Formats: sequence, structure tokens, C-alpha cells
Amino acid sequence: MSSQTILLVEDNPDDVELTLLAFRRSRMANEILVAWNGEEALDYLFATGQYVSRDVNDPPALVLLDLKLPGLGGLDVLRRIREHPVTRRVPVVILTTSDDEQDIVNGYNLGVNSYIRKPVDFSSFVGVVDQLGLYWLVVNTRSPV
Amino acid sequence: MDTAGDVIPAEHDAVAATRPRPTLAAGTGGFRPFSRGIGLRLLTLIILFSSLVTLLSTLSQLYIDYHRDVSDIERRLEEIERTNLDSLASSLWHVDTDQLRVQLDGLLRLPDVEMLEVRETVGSVANPLVVTVGGSHGTSVIERTYPIIYDDRGTPRPIGMLHVSATLEGVYRRLLERGVVILVTQGVKTFLVSLFILYIVHRLVTRHLVAIAEFLGEFTLHAGEALVLRRRRPPARDELDQMVDAFNDMRGNLARAYHDLREANRALVRDNEARRRAEEEVTRLNAVLEQRVRQRTAELEAANAELSSFAYSVSHDLRAPLRRIEGFGQMLQEGYVEIIDDKGRHYIERIRAGTREMAEMIDSFLKLSRSTRGELTVEPLDLSAMAADAVAKLREKDPDRSVGATIAPAVTVEGDRKLMAVVLSNLLENAWKYTRRADAAAIAFGVESRAGRPVYFVRDNGAGFDMAFVDRLFIPFHRLHKAEDFEGIGIGLATVQRIIARHGGRVWAEGEPGQGATFYFTCWEGREPGEQPNDPAGRG
Repeated sequence: MSSQTILLVEDNPDDVELTLLAFRRSRMANEILVAWNGEEALDYLFATGQYVSRDVNDPPALVLLDLKLPGLGGLDVLRRIREHPVTRRVPVVILTTSDDEQDIVNGYNLGVNSYIRKPVDFSSFVGVVDQLGLYWLVVNTRSPV
Repeated sequence: MDTAGDVIPAEHDAVAATRPRPTLAAGTGGFRPFSRGIGLRLLTLIILFSSLVTLLSTLSQLYIDYHRDVSDIERRLEEIERTNLDSLASSLWHVDTDQLRVQLDGLLRLPDVEMLEVRETVGSVANPLVVTVGGSHGTSVIERTYPIIYDDRGTPRPIGMLHVSATLEGVYRRLLERGVVILVTQGVKTFLVSLFILYIVHRLVTRHLVAIAEFLGEFTLHAGEALVLRRRRPPARDELDQMVDAFNDMRGNLARAYHDLREANRALVRDNEARRRAEEEVTRLNAVLEQRVRQRTAELEAANAELSSFAYSVSHDLRAPLRRIEGFGQMLQEGYVEIIDDKGRHYIERIRAGTREMAEMIDSFLKLSRSTRGELTVEPLDLSAMAADAVAKLREKDPDRSVGATIAPAVTVEGDRKLMAVVLSNLLENAWKYTRRADAAAIAFGVESRAGRPVYFVRDNGAGFDMAFVDRLFIPFHRLHKAEDFEGIGIGLATVQRIIARHGGRVWAEGEPGQGATFYFTCWEGREPGEQPNDPAGRG
């Protein structure tokens, strides 16, 4: 049984809290691991730095990726994920406030699985989180390797 | 001979014509009458003609002489008949052969007589008497035969025939001698006269022609001297004088024409110089202008880049805190229901409504900003179909309303598909919205021609507006109607204006409160009708 962990890459604590609240309200009970910046996310994924003891061959079930991150940007993280053989097939969903056309196009060019713009209205956001969790973790069939 | 005489000068002319002119005039060695010039041809022709005349006159002279000589001979023969026949008849009657022979020998001595024969013609004599002197040698002879009649006591008795033969050879010889003498003397005379004529022609004409030719050969417009012939003045002006005068006139005219030409040329050079300077000035100004355009473009691009990053910032950074306010507000509202009283819940609700409205404004603002950015992709568009699509979407969204829509067929324009769709949907959405309270709502899309240019319009019979405030219609976030009457934040028309401006056109509105409104727009106004448009802003 592979990991059911969701990796949330988000730098703002308020947004992390709101996202965690939304997940709590939804039907998802998966463990959510927060990476506060791009570097930490890559450490987790490739089992380096503070996550050196982690099994590198056990990638998360879903990566939720903010674009605007301090230091390494969300799209850079995405590129590294897609370049690595272990994480190449991990579902990645961009979850951001930006709806800039260039961001959307670049995200898909780098192989993102979904692009979601966080609605301002919290109830709507809960609905979005519920749907995406249900889809990617239940409905969708993951790659076996 | 005549034909040959005609052919030679003709050939000569042909050769002269192909030769370069100076060769003909280059008589530097002076005049040579027998060179292949007019002199030789003149001499040849005079000799030919004169010889012909001499020949003809000689022939007629000889002809006359010939006839005279022949008549002389005939007269001599008749003389023989008249004076000698009687004595011959007597000698023959007496059969005196010796006497006959003596008589005939005497006659034979007459000039040109070459043979005489007397033949007896008495029929019964078996062996008639025949006495012959001389002998016939040639074929050119005059022969006569006379009967010899003896007067036998009053009775004439023919007793024989006298045959006389005279040769013409003497005549011919004399004619030949005479002919030769005439021809030789005439020939010498002709030659001398020809030489004289040749000399006269040379004196009077040819040498002057050569002089003129030499003058012309060295002639330039700047040489000051006029053409003057060195000769004794004839008593009256002759053809050469006319020619010299004509040439000197022409020389003056040429000089004047050359002078005029040079003046014109100078003027042309001055013109060219002025034009060149003007072109240089234009080039310089163009360069300055281009430099300015480049500078402005760079400034514009920098401003646009700044605007883009600003818009991105608004999109991302302004929205994120709003989300937090809204999200935590809801948490407060839901999780602390018992602690917060009704008034507190009302305040929280107002906070959340404010954030939602602000989020909506940010989104609209972003839409407006995007309508002025990015490349235009200009292509032929079927506005009628696009308007029909927009109306269909409105009906789908608001199925309860009954709005009559009239869309003119085959309305086309060159433009960016996405942006023009925004224009049409914004204008039609407005029309749709503001006819909500009309009795029989009707909206229309079409095109009319003003000053030969297409003007597109969207018309409705809805709430309309006061023309006093028409300028505010297109200002972002300005609204002419109260929010309670018609929802919206006032960004649609501003967006339309930006897009139409990028299509080189204008947008304006006409209306009256309660009487509906009409929104007009044009495209590519700066261009000639039919000209291919291109993106005026490039990177807007």
C-alpha cells in the first residue's frame, strides 16, 4: 500500500490554516504534510536535508502546489518533480490565487495535472477542496510505479 | 557604257555615305581634281555625253557623205551611158574589137569603175562577141546594164548590152578616213573643254565646298570666327553666298541654343542640389523621428511590462489577503455562533460581503487590464455569427426573459476574435440588462454606412441614459444607474473602449432616459477602405 499523504506546498500560514480547515470540513482524512517553501518540498520528495531518513521511493499521493513561493518558485518545483524518475508520475495540482494566463500555460507546459484558482468565498473553497480530494485520491487511478 | 556611267557615281555615293564625315572634309592635301570627288564624276559624265553627241553627229555626217559619193558614182555611170554608148555602138556594129577594148579601157580609168563588158545580142549569132575589161572583186558594187542601139540610117537597132560595174570600196575607205579624223579632233576638243569646265567648277565651287567642309570639320561653338570664303566677290550673291549666310545664321542659332541649354542645365543642377538637400533633411528628420519612436516604444514597453507585473501582483497578492479575511470571517461566523451576538454576526456578514465585492472588482479590473495587453491576432470575423452566439448565451443564462433580438446578416470586420467577442458580449449584455424593465424588450445588432465607412451598432429600447453624462459611460467603475436598479460594477464599457481603440476605432453612445440607448463603434479609421489592417499597438 503506497502513501496516502498529501504534500501541501504553501508559504503563508494563514493560507495553510484555511486549506487545512477546508480539508477537515471535506470528506478527506488523509495525512497532510506542509512544506513551507520550494526547497523543503523537494527535500521531502527526494528524501534529502531534514527528510533524509525518508524512503525516496514512497512519493506522496498528491502534491498541492502554490505558485508564489519565496526562493524556489512553484513552477521550478514542478519542473524538478517532472524531471525526477520517482516523482515523474505523481499527480500535481496547482492551487493558487493567480489566474494569470502565462502561469496557467507554463503550468500545463511543465506537466501539471490540474490548475485550480482558489475562490475568495470560503464555502466555495471547501467545495473545491472536497472535489479535488475526492477526484485525485478516490476516483483517479494512480500509476502503479 | 551609259549604264556603267550611272552606276559608278551611285556606288561612290554609297561609299561616301558610310564613311565618317571628317574623312571627306579632310582635304588637308588641297584639291585634287582627279581624286574620287565631284571633279572626276563631272569629267566622266561630260566626256560620256560629249562623246555620244560627237558619235551621233559624225555618223550623220558620214551618212550624208556616203549618199553624196554614191550619187557621184551613179552620175558618172549615167555620163558613160550618155556620152559613150554611140561610139561603142558604132565599134560593135563594125565588130571592131580593138576599138571596143580601147574605148572600154578608157572608161575603166574613171574613178571607182572596176569592170566593163560589152556583149553582142544579135539573136542568130551562135558565138556572140564579148569584150570585158577589169574584174569584179568585192560584193559592194553598183551595176548597170545599158542596151547598145545602133542607128542604122534612121532605124534604131539594138545590137548588144553594156554592163558597167562600179565598186564602193573607195567610198568606204574615204568614209573611214573622214570618220577617224572627225572622231579624233572631236575627242581632243571634248577632253580639253571638259578639263576647262572641271577647272572652272573647281575654281568656282569645289574648292569652296572643300573649304567649307574643312571649316565645319574644325567647327566648335566657341570658335569666334564666322565662315568667310576666300574668293573674288561675284557681281551678285550666288548660291555659295546663300549657303555661307545660312550656315552663319545656323551658327548663331546653335550658339544661342547651346547657351539656353547650358542655362537650363545649370538650373537643373541647382534644382537637383536643392532636392538632394531636401532629401537629406527628410532623411535626417526621419532618423530623428525613428529614434524618437524607438525611445517612445521602449518607454511604452517598459510601462506595459510594469503594468503587467502590477496586474499580476493585484491578481495574486491582493486576492490572497481577501481570501483570508473571508475565510476566517466565515470560521468566526460558524464556529462561534454562541459567543457572538446578532449585531456581531451582522458585522461579520458585512465584512465578508465587502471582501467578496472587492474580489469581484479585482477580477473585473484584471479583465480590463488584459484587454489592452497581448498581441492582436487580426483575421476576418463574422460579427453576425459572433453576436448571435453572444445572444444565445444570454438566453441560456437568463431563460425566463423574452427579448427580441435582431441581428443583421453578413456583418464582417477584420479583428482579434477573442477581443471582438468580448466587445459584442459586453455590449449585448448591457442591452440585455437594461431592457429588463422594458415592456417589449428588443435589442439589435447591425451596421450602417457613415461617410463611406462601416459603423457597427448595438441598440436597445431599455432604460437609456442622460446624454449629459455620456462621457462617464466609458470610465472604469463609473455607473450611471443605481446598483439597486441594475447590478454591475461599471467595467464593461471601459473594456469595450480599450479593445476598440486597439482596433483603430472609436466607440460612442447615444441615448435618452427611458428611450433606450445605441452604442456605436468603428474599426481601422486611419486606414483607406479595403486596406489590410495590422495591429496598431503591436505589443499593447
